[in-house]
Amino acid sequence: MLRSYLKLAWKILWRRRFYTFISLFGIMVTIAVLVVASALLDHTFAPMPPEVRQDRTLGLFRARLVGKDSIDSTAVGYRLIDRYARNLPGVERLAIVSQAQTVLSYVGGHRVESRIRRADAEYWRVLDFAFLEGGPFTDQDVAGGSFVAVISASARDAYFGGAPAVGRVLEADGQRFRVIGVVSDVPATREVAYGDLYVPFTTQKTDAYRRELLGDFYALLLARSPADFPAIKSELASRLARAELPSREYDHLYAFPQTYFESVADDVFFDDQADRSHPERLLAVMAVAAFLFLLLPTVNLVNLNVSRITERASEIGVRKAFGASSRVLVTQFVVENLLLTLVGAAGGFVLATVVLWLVTASGVVPHAELALNLRVFGAGVAAAAVFGLLSGVYPAWRMSRMHPVEALKGAVR
Amino acid sequence: MTRHLLRLVWNRKRSNLLIAIEILLSFIVLTAVGTVAVFYVDNYRKPLGFDVENIWTVALEMNEEGRTSVTEQSDGEAAPPQAAAAARERQARRALVEQLLLTLRDMPEVEAVAGATVTPYSDNTWTSDIEVGGRRYRYGASAGTDDLARVLGLRVTRGRWFTSEDDAAAWRPIVINDRLAREMFPGKDPVGQFVDETRPGDTAPDPANRMRVVGVITDYRKAGEYAAPENFVFNRARLHDEKSEAEPVRDLVIRVKPGTAADFEARAVARLRSAAPDWSFQAEPLPQSRESALRLWLAPLAAAAIVSLFLLVMVAMGLSGVLWLHVTQRTREIGLRRAKGATVVNIRRQLVGEVMLLTAVATAVGLAIVVQFPVLEVFSAVSPFVYGVSLAISFACIFLLTAACAWVPARMASVIQPADALRYE
Repeated sequence: MLRSYLKLAWKILWRRRFYTFISLFGIMVTIAVLVVASALLDHTFAPMPPEVRQDRTLGLFRARLVGKDSIDSTAVGYRLIDRYARNLPGVERLAIVSQAQTVLSYVGGHRVESRIRRADAEYWRVLDFAFLEGGPFTDQDVAGGSFVAVISASARDAYFGGAPAVGRVLEADGQRFRVIGVVSDVPATREVAYGDLYVPFTTQKTDAYRRELLGDFYALLLARSPADFPAIKSELASRLARAELPSREYDHLYAFPQTYFESVADDVFFDDQADRSHPERLLAVMAVAAFLFLLLPTVNLVNLNVSRITERASEIGVRKAFGASSRVLVTQFVVENLLLTLVGAAGGFVLATVVLWLVTASGVVPHAELALNLRVFGAGVAAAAVFGLLSGVYPAWRMSRMHPVEALKGAVR
Repeated sequence: MTRHLLRLVWNRKRSNLLIAIEILLSFIVLTAVGTVAVFYVDNYRKPLGFDVENIWTVALEMNEEGRTSVTEQSDGEAAPPQAAAAARERQARRALVEQLLLTLRDMPEVEAVAGATVTPYSDNTWTSDIEVGGRRYRYGASAGTDDLARVLGLRVTRGRWFTSEDDAAAWRPIVINDRLAREMFPGKDPVGQFVDETRPGDTAPDPANRMRVVGVITDYRKAGEYAAPENFVFNRARLHDEKSEAEPVRDLVIRVKPGTAADFEARAVARLRSAAPDWSFQAEPLPQSRESALRLWLAPLAAAAIVSLFLLVMVAMGLSGVLWLHVTQRTREIGLRRAKGATVVNIRRQLVGEVMLLTAVATAVGLAIVVQFPVLEVFSAVSPFVYGVSLAISFACIFLLTAACAWVPARMASVIQPADALRYE
């Protein structure tokens, strides 16, 4: 049955090429836009090297000090992590890394802007960086405050013209670091891994950071398994409930182990109480945005499909006269439309690949390597299916309701 | 004629409704993108209020204790926090900032240096509001030292910028921009006026918190060329005041002599680093900040415009396809009209007229939706004028688009020979 539908659908695609082309163009553009958007989201949130153990990693991205009159909310301070986040049950490793900060260097009179991250040695064990040269800094380097740096491939280009860098010295923000390793570039969309210079966090100019509850650090908690997440969250919450606060101005200290997506959702839907995160709200907003975007292409395709009913009038008349039920006809036309959208989606994937390649080449997102992968492909196919159903059901219903006599008579051409 | 067209459109109401919805959605998309574009263009031609060339900004990172620091004796790390100690440290930081300004002023290329809390194009913003005489005024604010007007090329239109005259003042001197002056003191000379926050239950204003306008500058748009004009207030930043408890400014602004080479920055930063080895410095030429800020404004608009362009091409193709099919379905009707003496021009007019009528209905609904935005002041920064221009452009575009889509099928229909058409009967 399905096979004959598909065969028929294929024939009809070729019958009126001009209209098929118009329909396919619309579908292609629509799917391409959705695929590009989901590729960008995927590049930001989904696991990819060096964040390969993301499924069992939670982050502390944001801490809040809440008082009667004020809420302070920034990244996490070193004291909070050191005092309260160490040795949580179920946590295999705890890594500390600062937010990326821009620092200036002057190399041969030229200004070089780099993103510096100050990290501990565990950072290299929680994340899996690909080393092109040398290796990471060690616990001893961190404890002793050694001025050593792991740099990215593009930083090697900027500082040393691409020549081997291990053992050489660079200057950044007035500090001199000896390069001990070179890693391949990480896309700028990766909040915890993107950077040009990675140095021990103990090389900061003052030690004021050691006393801050709110600061500019992230903590990455690598759990033994995702099943440990609830225990980790509740243990940290109970420790923070007893935490020593900086002044009477504040009543509570909050920091939640969460995924990066959850932390973004928290920032968007800021919540005073903040006792739980709301990733589902952000997902809902994204779904509504996608639906609104789909509205115009859907109406366009529905219009084309409805207008083509008359073209099929004779066929419908004959099938009805021979006893085909409305349901059978609806199914047939919906399948037909799904086939059309999937063919269009194939074109959409090609178009999206070109767009992603252009975005990558343009350097709008530094070091991004945007491309289709299985997740993005799946999202695109799902979008095409939804699109196909939305735009197919109404025309199919209209077709199936045609009166057989009229259909046969009205079979103009 | 129109009534006749209306009846024809009504007779095919079901398929025409779908077409009208498609036109309506396209109209809304066009208006949305158009409004942002017109908003940008409208803002771009307004005065910026400060100079960009030959200026550098330097952001200071002082690596000091924040207000969220916990200090304990038992840690052996630091003494317990004391208000006096904190004030002394602030005092020391202010002195160091002043020393940095002096260090830079010594360089031969430098014309003038100043301190500020919010520099043009920076991510930092400071917005505040104040209630005066039962009205609430929102404004952006920054502190500035006595040289800031000269460094940034702020144009003082009335009164004066901050000077050492203000040292002895019993109030807080402020400089406001034209826009706020017009709003707050319509028809009055703003210079010398006091601005007192009035709260319910207040009897007399707190003298130390009284603000007094000492000068007015032209409109000042900190966020740059594409930003809407906003109210702005400058407070005076003092670095050498023994009594003050204030945090020092965290941004330096440097004006250099025209023709100064880019390598000035490396030398300036080297000087700053040796004067304050514990601090970090983020120097940037203002033209470069401008470029990256404007890119941030333009990128979303560019993406939306490209997507909308594709959507409109899709709509144009879809619409002409649909109209084409409609014409082929109406061959008999058209043949009959031709046989009864209708000219080619009559037929074309009828078909294009039908589509224009549909467009008029769809855009009328669209207008009713779009008009809610200015009426409800959803985006208060966008003026009704901007909405008006963008609506006019959208109307023109959508009518042109649908007319073009109807034109080709209408031409095709008008060459139908009555004899051929009627033969189908």
